[in-house]
Amino acid sequence: MIATSNRTVVDELALRHLDAAYNLGRWLLGSEQDAADAVHDAYLRAARASDTYAGGNARAWWLAIVRNCCLARLSLRNKDKHNVAIDANPAAAERWLPRAEAEEIEERLDDSRRSQRLDVHLRNLPVTYREVLILREIEELSYREIADVLETPIGTVMSRLARGRALLQKALTEDGSMEIPHGL
Amino acid sequence: MDCKTASDLLPLYFDGELDRATSREFEAHLDECAACRDALVALDSLRTALRSETARYGAPASLRARVEQSAAAPPVARTQRTRTHTRWLAMAASWVLAFVAGGLTLGLWHQGSAGASDAAQLNRDLFASHWRALAATSPIDVVSTDQHTVKPWFAGKVAMAPAVHDFADQGYALMGGRIDYVGSERVPVLVYRHGKHLIDVFVLPEMASSSTRDVVTAQGYVLEAATLGGQRAMIVSDMDRVELTRFRDLLSAQVPEN
Ligand SMILES: [Zn+2]
Repeated sequence: MIATSNRTVVDELALRHLDAAYNLGRWLLGSEQDAADAVHDAYLRAARASDTYAGGNARAWWLAIVRNCCLARLSLRNKDKHNVAIDANPAAAERWLPRAEAEEIEERLDDSRRSQRLDVHLRNLPVTYREVLILREIEELSYREIADVLETPIGTVMSRLARGRALLQKALTEDGSMEIPHGL
Repeated sequence: MDCKTASDLLPLYFDGELDRATSREFEAHLDECAACRDALVALDSLRTALRSETARYGAPASLRARVEQSAAAPPVARTQRTRTHTRWLAMAASWVLAFVAGGLTLGLWHQGSAGASDAAQLNRDLFASHWRALAATSPIDVVSTDQHTVKPWFAGKVAMAPAVHDFADQGYALMGGRIDYVGSERVPVLVYRHGKHLIDVFVLPEMASSSTRDVVTAQGYVLEAATLGGQRAMIVSDMDRVELTRFRDLLSAQVPEN
C-alpha cells in the first residue's frame, strides 16, 4: 500500500472512531479540553505513522495511539505538579488522575443519583481498571483488541477486567446503589 | 463441566470469547448451578448499568471539525479486510475445553503473579496467548502457506521480522502468522499445523531470552525453547514430545539470514 492511500484510510478510521477515541480520552483525562487535544494529537500522530498501520485491528491501532497520547498528557500534567514521571511510577498516575469533577457531574446527572454514584465509582477506580472497563463494557472491544490497545498480553487483560469488575461491584454494593441479585 | 472450570470460563462466556461448543457445555452447567447463574446475572447487571447510565462521551463537533480540517483528503470508501475462516479452526476451538478442564485455568494468572519470576510470567503469557488464540475467532492475522508472504507481512510491524520456513514436506505446514504480546513487547508468532495439532512459534525479543530453557508442560500442552535463524523462540503446542522435538530440530537447522 502506498503512503497516500494509507493516509486516507487513517483519516477515515479516525473519524469513524472519533467518539470511541474521545470517550476513552474523557475517561482517562477527565477534562473536555484535554481529551479533545489528546485526540487531535493522536490523529496527527496516526497520520504521520500511517505506514505502520498493520491492517486488521484498525480500531485497536487507532485507540492505542489515542491512549498513548492521553498517557503522555497525564505524564506532562504530573510533571508540572509533582515532577514524577508516569513511566517511573505507574502507581502515581492513579493518585493525580482527576477524581470527581463535581460541577460537571452535577450538571449532567442531577436527575439521577444512582447514575452519579456509578460514574463516581468508575472514576475512582485506578486507571488500570477504569480503562479496561471502558474499552470492554462501553466500547465493546474484544479481549484481543483490548490487548492491542494496552499493548499487553491477553492474560493481563483478563485479570484486570476481572479485578475491575469485582472492585466496581464491591463499591456499588457497599453504598447500596445497586442490587446484586442473589437468585433467579 | 465442574463449577471451578465453569467459574473460570464465566467471564469468557459473558464476553463472547468462547467458541460455540464450549459455550454449550458451559450452558449445560448453568442449568444446574445457581451460583454460576447468580454470578452471570451480576456481571450482566453491572454491564447494563454501565451501558445505560454511564456517559459515553461523544466527540464534540469542534473536535470533529478540527480533525476533518487536518485531514489531507476527504474520506473515501473504507478498505475491508475479509476474515478468513478455515475449517481446522473449528476443530481447534474444541480443544479449549479440554485445556481449561485439564486444570490450566485462569487461576494461573489470577493468582501467583505477585512473586512470580520473569520466566514464569513469560510462560504464562505464552500459554495464555496460545490458549486464547485457540479459543477465539482467528489465531492468525495473516493466513498464508507461503513463507514469502508471511515474512514481509511482519516487516514494519515488529522490530525484527523472523525467518519463515514452510515445513509442509516434513509434515509441519505453515499456516500463517500473527502478532502477540510478551510483556509489553510485540512479538511475531508463526503458526504451523501438524495433523490436528496447532503449533505456535513465538519469536522472542532479546530481553525476554531469560532463563526459560526447560521444557514446561501443562495438561498435555508443551512449551519448549528453540532457536529460529539465530533468534530465540518458544514453541507451544499439544503435540507429543517426539513430534515436537522433530519440529524443533527442523526450526533450529535453518541457518541465520542476513
Ligand atoms: Zn457453577
